[in-house]
Amino acid sequence: MRFALAVGTFLILVIHGVILYNQFSHKWEVHQIAYFNQAKAMAKGDAERASLEARSPRIEQTVVADFGETRVDRCITCHIAADDPRFATYQQPLKTHPYSTAMGDVQKNGKWERRHKFSEFGCTVCHDGQGRGLSPRDAHGEDEYWPDPLLGAATQENWRKDFVPMLRGKEYLEANCAQCHTGASFSGTPTVRRGMELFYASNCYGCHRIEGLSDGTIGPDLTEVGRKFKIDYIYARIKDPKSILATSIMPRFNMLSDPDIKALVVFLKSRKGKNFSETEMDRYRLRATGGAELVQAHIKPVAINPAQMAKQGEQLVLDRACTACHKLGAKDGAIAPDLSFEGLLKTPAWLEAHFRNPRSTMADSIMPAFRFTEDEFKAMTAYLSGLKAAPALPSPEATYKALCLRCHGDKGNGLGPIAEHLDPSPRDFTKAAFMNSKPMDRLVASVRKGVEGTSMPAWEKLLDENQAKAVLGYIQTAFVKEPRQEPKARAVPAVNPVASSPESIARGEATFLNRCTGCHGRKGDGKGPNALDILPKPRNLRNNLFMAGVGDPRLFESILYGVQGTAMPSWIDYGLSNNDVGDLVNFLRNFNPKPKGGQNAGTI
Amino acid sequence: MAVSRRRMLAWITGTGLVGSGVLSAISNFVFIKPRATYGQPQRFSIGKPDDYPAGTRIALDARRICVVREGNRIAAVSTTCTHLGCIVGLADTGFACPCHGSRFDSDGTVTGGPAPRPLPWYKITLAPNGEIEVDKDTEITPGSYLTL
Ligand code: FES
Repeated sequence: MRFALAVGTFLILVIHGVILYNQFSHKWEVHQIAYFNQAKAMAKGDAERASLEARSPRIEQTVVADFGETRVDRCITCHIAADDPRFATYQQPLKTHPYSTAMGDVQKNGKWERRHKFSEFGCTVCHDGQGRGLSPRDAHGEDEYWPDPLLGAATQENWRKDFVPMLRGKEYLEANCAQCHTGASFSGTPTVRRGMELFYASNCYGCHRIEGLSDGTIGPDLTEVGRKFKIDYIYARIKDPKSILATSIMPRFNMLSDPDIKALVVFLKSRKGKNFSETEMDRYRLRATGGAELVQAHIKPVAINPAQMAKQGEQLVLDRACTACHKLGAKDGAIAPDLSFEGLLKTPAWLEAHFRNPRSTMADSIMPAFRFTEDEFKAMTAYLSGLKAAPALPSPEATYKALCLRCHGDKGNGLGPIAEHLDPSPRDFTKAAFMNSKPMDRLVASVRKGVEGTSMPAWEKLLDENQAKAVLGYIQTAFVKEPRQEPKARAVPAVNPVASSPESIARGEATFLNRCTGCHGRKGDGKGPNALDILPKPRNLRNNLFMAGVGDPRLFESILYGVQGTAMPSWIDYGLSNNDVGDLVNFLRNFNPKPKGGQNAGTI
Repeated sequence: MAVSRRRMLAWITGTGLVGSGVLSAISNFVFIKPRATYGQPQRFSIGKPDDYPAGTRIALDARRICVVREGNRIAAVSTTCTHLGCIVGLADTGFACPCHGSRFDSDGTVTGGPAPRPLPWYKITLAPNGEIEVDKDTEITPGSYLTL
């Protein structure tokens, strides 16, 4: 007890002493004294010497009120000679801030005059860093949790080492120049400008929103990205999105070189919500004109020559980063379907509609609607619909690998490389109950005709009836692993026996609310409260392309007898009659208006 | 042994308590005054002498000073009324306060109204970068100019 008391009081004494001692040995005082002494030696007259004599070290600060939030800028406390031209050759921190015509400084009578006066701009407006800090580490913002470390020179110790060489350099300062100098004619921010061009050219705008610049909704809003995130983080998210967030669906833009990524990072770092120089009117004008004009102002629209359509389309597909997501020949973005033989799978009309508005042809597509010109859409369509070279398919196994694996996976479990980006998910072939509950005709039809409203294409131009059966045979032995049993035909009506009427729809709705919403959701979009725990996910019944593609018998069968290998139960066991199901089908059909064009719209 | 240990501990405890007490007293003097406040700094630059042509009196309301230039002599006079702290305006005869009518001549001497003291003059120096620096922390005798 006494011992603890002794140690305790002694410790308090020591800590107290250390704190007090620290108050008398600030680095900045040392720098200021060094400055005063050297300035005294350089002083021209007694008056100057006397005024230096009278000065003692103290915290110098500028309060900058004109740029965003009021900043307290104490950098001059250490960099006390920043505006003293006699110290141009000294070491930091006692070095004169360089003068340069690029920054608008002018020479008058042999003396430099600054355009950006420290008394008006402070230091952090351009350099970032933490203006209030008084130790180099604090002031330069090297602390792990400070989002705006000093730009241009310092690299934080906790930054990703592999990016560090790309993260140094004065170009990053441009992000702050661009806070005020937003004019397209301003020559001081070439990197920001290049980054902005890339933002449009690489289709970043398709997924991301930046207020006044773009309105994508798939990815995070980047309006304030420069205020919230550090340079190395933004860099890593572009260079290798999954290294930051394992579930990120952002593509790796492999066609971007490191300097390109750097330009994008500098551009993004310059987006801090409100730029000082943008007026509300500017922002309104940008909002009002929306995307297309802006996109076309940044990526030069390609003048399409009718004779060269397909050729120019090919170049566009390459330039506009399509392979960041899609596979096309040797290039594979590993996110979206293979386009290598698109001409065999899709009609030109479908392709063009899909370009313009992907969801018009694929209800839950994540593909953004890009803002290209009509001619560009036509050229790209011409190119893709010309891709009619069928891949070599020597065996059923090779066929599976070439056509099915990307979605259904090498284990046939529906978890192919791009499966996570597809909605609905690809079918899991290891669920024998499902495979053996469907007649061969239906399976073959799915392979050859595709499934409307989903990513399953119609392979009929590549596979004839026998080849389709052979692939299904391969799937049966390799993945289903149970001998094929042809299911007994079930008794379902060929057409809905209940005529659609408001009363029938109301009865169907009541049944739907009672029985179906737990999984399919109140809206029928497949997002009910139980949906999270269920694989495959419950069907989106608002996918009107799919709903139009399935006939009444199939809806009746699925509802009455359930879907084996999924969570859909057999409702006949719970007392639903043919008439109840008829009401349900009328209700479902009622909220699914006729679609405009499905993937087979041109062929059927 | 036991006694000497007890004594030793008592001694350490005593030193700790007394030492901390003394340091606390010193700390009071050191920490009682803030090193920096968040207001505008009291020493600041007001630009080049060329911005103030000879014979002008220019009031910088944000800084609450009036820069007086006569020939190649320059000075900074406070424009904070010594009565209740309003900003005094420039008048033909010097300065005039809008609130309760204090009047000052061009040197800041009170010529009328409730103001109890003349307007102070601030120290002014020429910084190495060629700009004029005003130090509002240091008052100087009215009428002393800086010769450029
Ligand atoms: S404050 Fe100026 S006269 Fe009262």
